[in-house]
Amino acid sequence: MNIGSIDRSAVSDLGWLHRISPTAKLAAFTLVLAGVVVTWNLFVACALLILLAATAISARIDLRLALALAAYPALFALIFAAASAPDAMTGTTIVVKAVSAGLAAVTVVLTTPYPQVFAPIQRIVPGIVGDALLMTYRTTFLLLGKLGQLIRAVRLRTGIRGAHPIRMARATTTALGALLLYALDLAQRDYDVMRLRGYSGRLRIPLPHGASRGRDMALLVAAACACAVSVAWRLGWHALNPYSWLLPLAPSVLLGVAATIRLTNQEVAR
Amino acid sequence: MSHIHIPDGVLPTWLWAGGWVLTLVFVFFAGRLAERNDVRRKVPLLAVVAALMLVAMSSEIVPLAYHVNLTVVAGVLLGPVLSVIAAFIVEVVLAMLGHGGVTVLGLNTLMIASEMVVGWALFRGLVYVLTRRRVRAATFLATVLTLAFTTTLLVGLVAVSGGGNATARETGALDPTTMSFGNPLSAGVFRAGLFDSAGTRAAPAQQPGRPAAEPSLSVARFAAVVYTLGPVGWLLEALISAWVLGYVARVRPGLLWDGPLERRDHAVIGDGQVSG
Repeated sequence: MNIGSIDRSAVSDLGWLHRISPTAKLAAFTLVLAGVVVTWNLFVACALLILLAATAISARIDLRLALALAAYPALFALIFAAASAPDAMTGTTIVVKAVSAGLAAVTVVLTTPYPQVFAPIQRIVPGIVGDALLMTYRTTFLLLGKLGQLIRAVRLRTGIRGAHPIRMARATTTALGALLLYALDLAQRDYDVMRLRGYSGRLRIPLPHGASRGRDMALLVAAACACAVSVAWRLGWHALNPYSWLLPLAPSVLLGVAATIRLTNQEVAR
Repeated sequence: MSHIHIPDGVLPTWLWAGGWVLTLVFVFFAGRLAERNDVRRKVPLLAVVAALMLVAMSSEIVPLAYHVNLTVVAGVLLGPVLSVIAAFIVEVVLAMLGHGGVTVLGLNTLMIASEMVVGWALFRGLVYVLTRRRVRAATFLATVLTLAFTTTLLVGLVAVSGGGNATARETGALDPTTMSFGNPLSAGVFRAGLFDSAGTRAAPAQQPGRPAAEPSLSVARFAAVVYTLGPVGWLLEALISAWVLGYVARVRPGLLWDGPLERRDHAVIGDGQVSG
């Protein structure tokens, strides 16, 4: 989990999706997720996945990072599918649904700074929960960096190599213990800073508007259409199933166009 | 076991929606309790412990598809009320990073929170029985027992969701003419008539008004896999937790017995700065 790269991607202003308002992106994410949850048709699930891939490519986010993050749930979905799915078709659908939902979440996170992602949640939960949520993300960076330093220091001091897995495990757990102490001291220091700056029990995070209201609406309409198609196929499967194979075609064309434009832009930039 | 690695849209709606409702109730209740005093100290503490769990979860042992969780360690440090909030925070961050579904966020929070609370209670009980000199043994036992308990909870969840008629309906498709559910792929994608003309396609596989024979999740197979792979993870987690808490008990025992909210004045390790 490379949180540093995620944050860099989120705060950069690379593509059109970065300029959409966070509220519109979260609403669109909810609609697409509803579409993924509703469907049990493999073609519908694949169409949603291709549509999300086209969105990610056109938004100019780091594809390697996005795919690595989205593939992570696939690993566990694969195990779950292998362990419990009654047939290959259901198993494949489970994995495609997992990757689709993961890619939808990752696309939002890679194009939206984290305070704006968490701000809507922060507004509805008790103050302590929302504020701790915002601080957790920031603290994770500090701890990840510190863990790397601690492991390196412990290895250098003990001269550990790969041939001593038990000693290495012991050194790693010692590093985790030291990290725990560091984390608790960090909490104490954060408390001092918050007290000094007059923290009164609520952090205020403003939600910015998008660059264009029209683009926000277009994204919402597209997400609503994707959700509507999924619901329609679930409700009217008797009539619509014979045409399921048509569904991935339109997103595939979009994917091709997005990939071509991105490749052309990269060539021009070189 | 810590959290459910079940994708979005697999569990029935009533189950994950119920998980969300219960989680929100618990989080609001815990939030109100925690806000009664010393909020300024609890916010950074919650943040660092949740971040610590996230850091631990980011290191995965790929062949086993297992990652360390440190849930029992976090539960011992935070106590039951703050554990519920920390579990929710961890799950929200994980869900937004694509690690764990959004719909199962409620169930995942309940699962992690129960792991932290049960771990905390078992640790306290075992330390009382084994004395404070055997922190590692107490942590090891508490972690193994807690993970066995939450793994059983997970299998129970899949059994509830995968074995009953409720799921059979949820995994199917709603037929608006009969208001019954059926699986559109029960006869296979190709045999369902996807490539036939509308007039010659195969008839639906179920009788009108009755759900089709559903391919439901195999609970027995799932339980067999989880109980075979799970103990390896339990032992790893227990060893790491025991080592970490043993180290803390040796270096700074006050954290375990007085709690991290006790006021202290000392340096931040490695930063060369003094806080006070």
